[in-house]
Amino acid sequence: MNIPYLTLILFLPVAGAIVVALLPKPEQKTIRSVALVFTLLSFFLSIGVFLGFDRSSAAGTMQFEEKLSWLPAIGSAYHLGVDGISLVMMILTTLIGVLTILVSWKVTSRPREYFIWLLVLETSILGVFTSVDLIMFFIFWEVELVPMYFLISIWGTGRKEYSALKYVIYTITGSALMLAGILTLYFSVGTMDMAVIAQTDLSKATTIIPLAGIFVLLLIGFAIKLPVFPLHTWLPDAHTDAPTAVSVVLAGVLLKMGGYGMIRFNVGFFPSVAEDAAPILMALAVVNVLYGAAITLRQTDLKRLIAYSSVSHMGLVLLGVFALTPVSLTGATLQMFNHGVVTGLLFAMVGLVYDKTHNRNLGKLGGLARQMPIVVVVFSIAGLASLGLPGTSGFAAEFLVFVGSFTSTTVTSARVLTLLSAFGIVLTAGYILWMLQRVFYGPPKEEYNRVPDADRVEMLCIFSFVAVIGLIGIYPAILTNVIQVGTRSLTVLVGAP
Amino acid sequence: MNLWLLAPELSLFFTAVVVLLLGLASSRRGIVIGVSLLGVLVSFVFAAFLWSGTPQATFNGMLSVDQFAVFFKFIVLAALVLVILASADYDYKVEQVRAEYFTLILISAVGLMLLSSARELITIYVSLEMSSISLYVLAGFLRDRRSSEAGLKYLLLGSVASATLLYGMSFVYGLTGKTELGQIASAIQSLSLSGLLDNPALLLGLVLVAGGFGFKISSFPFQMWVPDVYEGAPTPITGYLSVASKAAGFAAVMRIFYDAFGAPSWLGQNWGLLFAGLSIATMTVGNIVATAQANIKRMMAYSSIAQAGYIMVGLAAVSMGQSVAPAARSALAFFLASYTLTNMGAFVAIIAFSNKTNSDLIVDYSGMGRRAPLLALGLTLCLVSLLGLPPTAGLIAKVYIFNAAVQQGLLWLVIVAVLNTVVSAYYYLRVVKLMWLGNPVSEEPVPSSAALRTALFLACAGILLLGIVPDLLVRLSETAGHSLL
Amino acid sequence: MLTQFGQIALFILVIVLFISALPIAAFIFRLIGLAPHKPTQVKTSTYESGMETVGKSWIQFNVRYYTYALIFVALDVTAILLYTWAVDLKSLGAAGLGVALVFIAILAVGYLYTWKKKFLEWK
Repeated sequence: MNIPYLTLILFLPVAGAIVVALLPKPEQKTIRSVALVFTLLSFFLSIGVFLGFDRSSAAGTMQFEEKLSWLPAIGSAYHLGVDGISLVMMILTTLIGVLTILVSWKVTSRPREYFIWLLVLETSILGVFTSVDLIMFFIFWEVELVPMYFLISIWGTGRKEYSALKYVIYTITGSALMLAGILTLYFSVGTMDMAVIAQTDLSKATTIIPLAGIFVLLLIGFAIKLPVFPLHTWLPDAHTDAPTAVSVVLAGVLLKMGGYGMIRFNVGFFPSVAEDAAPILMALAVVNVLYGAAITLRQTDLKRLIAYSSVSHMGLVLLGVFALTPVSLTGATLQMFNHGVVTGLLFAMVGLVYDKTHNRNLGKLGGLARQMPIVVVVFSIAGLASLGLPGTSGFAAEFLVFVGSFTSTTVTSARVLTLLSAFGIVLTAGYILWMLQRVFYGPPKEEYNRVPDADRVEMLCIFSFVAVIGLIGIYPAILTNVIQVGTRSLTVLVGAP
Repeated sequence: MNLWLLAPELSLFFTAVVVLLLGLASSRRGIVIGVSLLGVLVSFVFAAFLWSGTPQATFNGMLSVDQFAVFFKFIVLAALVLVILASADYDYKVEQVRAEYFTLILISAVGLMLLSSARELITIYVSLEMSSISLYVLAGFLRDRRSSEAGLKYLLLGSVASATLLYGMSFVYGLTGKTELGQIASAIQSLSLSGLLDNPALLLGLVLVAGGFGFKISSFPFQMWVPDVYEGAPTPITGYLSVASKAAGFAAVMRIFYDAFGAPSWLGQNWGLLFAGLSIATMTVGNIVATAQANIKRMMAYSSIAQAGYIMVGLAAVSMGQSVAPAARSALAFFLASYTLTNMGAFVAIIAFSNKTNSDLIVDYSGMGRRAPLLALGLTLCLVSLLGLPPTAGLIAKVYIFNAAVQQGLLWLVIVAVLNTVVSAYYYLRVVKLMWLGNPVSEEPVPSSAALRTALFLACAGILLLGIVPDLLVRLSETAGHSLL
Repeated sequence: MLTQFGQIALFILVIVLFISALPIAAFIFRLIGLAPHKPTQVKTSTYESGMETVGKSWIQFNVRYYTYALIFVALDVTAILLYTWAVDLKSLGAAGLGVALVFIAILAVGYLYTWKKKFLEWK
């Protein structure tokens, strides 16, 4: 009999949430242990799927498929499956899912609701990555809003309610247009099955509105999520005001929903339109990279700084996706994974620093190297990975993106644009190193003399991140092998060499 | 003439009479409510029997008993159960005339059930009035200033709307010489017109009928009465007005326009565009004004106007598709079922809160998440469903109805509608935010009776069930959509 | 179609002309002395063949009048319906009798209600 691995992975976190909800008057310790157990189970299962994934060239694109009739009236089915790209995203999500529980180990304010929302959030994101059905995809995309809204507005800091609402309104706007796009797509092709649509040549199908129209409707939703300049303004607010664990999820996985959607929908379904739109989108990517990095340089709030650096890094994803070569698409996917882990770690570190010093202002921090050596080392590793030092996962990903888009033949101005965005690396080095210097080095300050270093749970959490960064940095093929299975079918359609 | 086909209405009417007579002997709450619920159950069983029958017209074509009508009878009965349960905690305000209160509710439900079956102009008008007159009285039932204002406003504006409707019907009758919808359709076809402007009488009749029903379904520009009446009327009645009377109104609009003005196809497209335009105005006005409300009943009033706008998207899709695609008709039925559960659920929660706080101000919902977690959770679920987020029935309903509209080439309308949804997020979530994030005014818990809790539980369970396994109801609404005579 | 409306418009025109002709004619007759003008007190009173009002006419009627009126209208309608039914009693047969009985029963509920609620007593 077939074990429904994906269903288990998908619903284990929510099962954990139900268990937590049903526990009679639980203590915070029990709640967090339950949450940890369920996320760990989900993680191990996803590793199992990863190991069982058929990487051979003969293998089908969608694997581990599950299909049940759900809503035949509008051609929708309960249909799960993973290809190379979504598999990597799924692993990332379950991994970050475990780590966020560890990051939130010391949350004591209304812990039951907190962990419930966190677990629901994980399921919704996993749903986005594993759905093969358009409506399922859309539903999970929307579910994610509810826990995010509560997590930011209850457990956040600063202007949390404003940020949470801003986040929700931005996302709903995007997803509203996306729904219109999905429905037009459905009536143009007559199926909600993404795998089938990807095989269809849409340029020959009779569509209700021009193909480019559907492309744009879908793109806006993903562009808000990624985010693409000028739709990025929700991101710094939401990241800064969210609690640490939520910032980790937000930067680690939620942004990837945008990139994933672009690869799967915009490139996968509309290769010809994507080719036409590529120069514009690559130009936007360059703006993202450079503008994001330039803004980052000017930040004085540690968390806001990391948040803006995401804008810059996601620009590279956009660049890789719309360079439309096999290498650049692989690089973009790897960059999503890499950014998820690295920025997740960076936010976790910022959370640590803030917990201990109660300060995030770069002007007030300083000289922490002496008080918290472990934090310094890990923070530096994360920073270096973020700027793409060889030997870290950042290097592998960014290198692939640059090589891929530089050699792109489909987009005429690709070389210039790639060179321009490579300049972003320099700026990244600038803000990362400058930030490290201002926070950790310089003369130690009196008021931070008693600040403790990371404790055992925190170390477990941050070193797991470091281990993943190192592993991917040294042996990126472990992921790229899988990703290529996914990009293969895309690039056939694009018609790149 | 087969009385069996009228069994749901007859049994409900009989219940109403029994309740009224019971009230003369004793007006104990348990007896009155028990008998009412029993009657609803009996009527439901009869309706369920009719569901499996073949669609047929009866009483010389005046009534049609098809699955479409029975579906709307189910909706009215479901709303009825919820409103009876919700009134259990509220009727201390009407203790002297409790039996009359429930009798009127039951009689108005009979009218609404007939309305969903009626396929003849005079029957439509009579059943409409049967429900409306009871509702006029119910809206003014509290006899305080606000309630009296509500009752009077509803009566005056309702009469104007009825007059408009009758005037429109008289034009249609004058033109075709028929009152039965199917015959009207063939009479219009035999006129062999090439456009609506060829025949001003038909145009006038069409617009006036749409106007008369526009009042009932609270479409722009006939939505003026809604906020005042909803605010002043007893809260259970407000909930009932917002769902049952609207659902049956839509059923009747659909029957009239689809059956009588469905062919030739240019005619369908003409009124389709009329409803598409009204739909945009209705939902935009509803959503934008709702953001500025401080009273939750007024907010829900504007929200229900906005929801009517979404439903009219489905109506526009029906006109475009005609006989080819029953999807739009099914979507309309599904949306109304889901909306009935959701809005009624929200009103049940509002009744529970205002029983304690004696206020309908949104600011007084601050911190309710701590004072009454279960009630607040229920209200949150209902609001989230109205907004259309998963895993609720609201999302499926919206997707279903927009799906149908896109299929008929109304993409522009759907885009306006989904952008409207974004606006609505603001005011729905504001209440949710206040409940869970605001500071409670006092620490006192909010009590709620078993009846209210049952009602809220039923509504919430329905919302979740339809949100997660929508196929159960989708099948029913498909049958309903196909069966329309 | 428009010509049919035209006929209606013509009809309306005739009505307007006729109505406006009456006062004009009266005025002209008075002018040329065809109509005699001999006012008396009775002729110039408000209601020539009615009674003068006693006290103010802007008073609230007792609400009881309305219930009486309602009950009376219901009785009236019953009588009219039963009259037509009785005329054709033979051909309507038993079924007709049943329907009439149901009709009376429903109305009887109303009377029973008003009676029990003491609406028939004038306190």
